[in-house]
Amino acid sequence: MAYSFVEPPWFFGLGCVTEISAPSFGVEACDFRISHRSQPSGQMMSLKALQKVGVRVTLASAALLLAGCATPPPDDDPEAKAEFEQLNDPLEPTNRVIFEFNDMLDVYFLRPVAQGYRAILPKFGRDRVADFLDNLKMPLYFTNNLLQGNPSLAGVTIERFVLNSTFGVAGLMDVATPLGLPGNKPDLGQTFGVWGIGEGPYLVLPLMGPSNPRDAVGLGIEAVADPLDYYLANNEMNWVLWTRFGISGISQREAYLDALDDVKRTSLDYYSAMRSLYRQRRNAQINEADNPGQTVVPSPDNHIDIPKIK
Amino acid sequence: MIRRTFLHAATLCFLAAVAIPASGRAATTATTTQDAQTFIQRLAHEAITTVADSQLSDAERDDHFRRLFVSSFDIPEIGRFVLSRYWRTATPDQQQNFLKLFEDINVLTWAQRFKDYHGETLETLGATKDGDRGWIVDSRITRKQGPPIPVQWRIRQSDDGSFRVVDIIVEGVSMAITYRSDYAAAMQSSGGRVDSLLAAMRKKIDQLKAAG
Repeated sequence: MAYSFVEPPWFFGLGCVTEISAPSFGVEACDFRISHRSQPSGQMMSLKALQKVGVRVTLASAALLLAGCATPPPDDDPEAKAEFEQLNDPLEPTNRVIFEFNDMLDVYFLRPVAQGYRAILPKFGRDRVADFLDNLKMPLYFTNNLLQGNPSLAGVTIERFVLNSTFGVAGLMDVATPLGLPGNKPDLGQTFGVWGIGEGPYLVLPLMGPSNPRDAVGLGIEAVADPLDYYLANNEMNWVLWTRFGISGISQREAYLDALDDVKRTSLDYYSAMRSLYRQRRNAQINEADNPGQTVVPSPDNHIDIPKIK
Repeated sequence: MIRRTFLHAATLCFLAAVAIPASGRAATTATTTQDAQTFIQRLAHEAITTVADSQLSDAERDDHFRRLFVSSFDIPEIGRFVLSRYWRTATPDQQQNFLKLFEDINVLTWAQRFKDYHGETLETLGATKDGDRGWIVDSRITRKQGPPIPVQWRIRQSDDGSFRVVDIIVEGVSMAITYRSDYAAAMQSSGGRVDSLLAAMRKKIDQLKAAG
């Protein structure tokens, strides 16, 4: 499996993925192996926390095993089969279990925390936090700009960093955007997409949410390749690293409060709506990076079977 | 502020008065990029003036939204697209029920979304031909804070020359495609029965009403 080498501690390897990129996949392709690391690089976790994680991993594994893979529709129903292949979600039952778990975590923990954050800190303060955190990601943005073959955008990223770190008081104020240098936030999954690497089957990652093998690999590599994190981890400053991780999470969740509430409120099937939104958004981001300045409108004609009446 | 809104509204009414007959006539000849853009500008402005009108009660506002939505969106076309293969297996009765419920859900959804209106404005940037009688109108929503949001409108012209929206694409995400994935999944979890989908939609409408 492609991403086992970047597996973050919380991340389960899913055996199903191996053969799914092949054009046809049957139930037999779905042999289920769960290879989680039972020993996350432990120095920052107490034994008790480790035990808790262990219990949770075991429970989650059991649930995943029970859920398994989706059964493809029979051959005599070509429309259903086409739909199944287009959804490209052979792990759906498993994904749904993880999605439920994430949602529960969100309802009882993340969302209330984000709401509290919004209540305590006014918009101005939240923007400063977001700008500061964004400025710290410059090395990753810069690298991705270059990997995407866009040196001029990489130049903009550097200019932004210099301006925002100085006149913007250590990145607290994004002064570059009003000066005509708006930010771009490339990531490694997007870079892979620009290179023409396909997304693979839909995945819901524990805690991190909607993804796919391509984006999960990107996420994993960025998690270990961030120079600032690397420095912090090597200088006994893991608490800074985790603080950054925690505050980023809260800040991002706050930014999506209204949008996610809207999706949840208006959709009939929250899981499927999120799957569709994630895919479309990622494709749009890759198109944007691939053809800067051009808008590629998704065409419903690319979708199977539109009944034409008239 | 109020005066400005009034001025906008007045300008708009004038534009609308000029534009509507113009697009009507254009049906016989060719429509221009400008007609397509004007349609979207007018739609956005009507929606905004409906929200901004503090004289309206909630019920009246919902009513305005419904009229605006029904007259400017091609609900049957969107509904067929959303139901896709299940449209054909549905009885005419189920199809009509579906369209009615779909309309309700959309009206409630948009009315709720517009409650969070904070002075955003829509500006059209251009339009490109999309098939025989279709256009894609490119626009962006400008907010007081944050970068502008790109929005594309897929619109279609009917025989009488009027335009109807068939899809809205916000930051690359198509409303119609999202609805379709969502509803197909709801269909499947209810064993592919249209009646179960209709029941789920009724339940959703109750929830939306209770929340609104």
